[in-house]
Amino acid sequence: MANLESGKQGIWATLRRPSVKYSMLGLLVVGFFSGIVFWGGFNTGMEATNKLDFCIGCHEMRDNVYEEYKYTIHYSNRTGVRAVCSDCHVPKDWTHKMIRKVKASYEVWGKLTGKIDTKEKFEANRMAMAEREWARMKATNSIECRNCHDFDAMNPEIQKKTPYKKHMDAKAAGQTCIECHQGIAHKLPKGFKKPGTEEEEE
Amino acid sequence: MKKLTLAAAVAAISLAGFSSPALALDVEAAKGLAEQNNCMQCHGLRKDKDGPSFMKTAEKYKGKAGAADEIVKHITSGKKVKLADGTEENHKIAKTMPPNDAAQLKNLAEYVLSIQPK
Repeated sequence: MANLESGKQGIWATLRRPSVKYSMLGLLVVGFFSGIVFWGGFNTGMEATNKLDFCIGCHEMRDNVYEEYKYTIHYSNRTGVRAVCSDCHVPKDWTHKMIRKVKASYEVWGKLTGKIDTKEKFEANRMAMAEREWARMKATNSIECRNCHDFDAMNPEIQKKTPYKKHMDAKAAGQTCIECHQGIAHKLPKGFKKPGTEEEEE
Repeated sequence: MKKLTLAAAVAAISLAGFSSPALALDVEAAKGLAEQNNCMQCHGLRKDKDGPSFMKTAEKYKGKAGAADEIVKHITSGKKVKLADGTEENHKIAKTMPPNDAAQLKNLAEYVLSIQPK
């Protein structure tokens, strides 16, 4: 019976059959090193999709959000520290990064179907896209912002009084960055009003 | 020759068509720029907050020549301003995309000047 089974053909049978040629150590060593190569390659590939150049490889990003971002402080500033797309839009830790990358497949679908392939279409969808991203950031307590920014690191001697007061109020109220700082690196969607600024219409 | 005249006429018409809206106040664009620069955090349209309302500013400059330029200077030079609580602070410098776009800033200034009491 056993002989009959081992005599089975096919790739699955071959894979299940113990090796008769290679030593256990040989297999383990080869497996171990190929593991490193594949894992490293996978992560390097993933990291490549986090580069600014990758993001602006499609005209939807290059002609819209990238154009706007180029004029903001996260792109160009006194000290030359730059936060690129992924620094704000992709979580740093591996698990959440993978989840975000899998979700990005929807964006690939959007690219293929041309959902935002003109300026008009982009503007028509800007509010929906922005709200989705703001919700994501709020849910993570603006973790990408906090990779660099921290309430406790704000110096009242250097930060202007009004923003400092607002920051401390926000901290006390348990608010998170994105609840006030929408559209810091991109244009706000048309008609969007920041919370706390609503008042009588003309 | 006829073709040339026609082309000139078309050019003249399209020029006239494009240049007049550029002079008119674009309220939506001004509101967008105000929102982007957080103006409304300290200024209300008709309500004083840490800073005076736009309506108050419009009243102050009513009938004055170069009012819009004054306001542009005010929002781009980062000069010291007095807040409602009596303390002083440098006014935020309004940013545009592309940077220092005079037309956008002027449009915002004109918008501020256009706010009338209800």
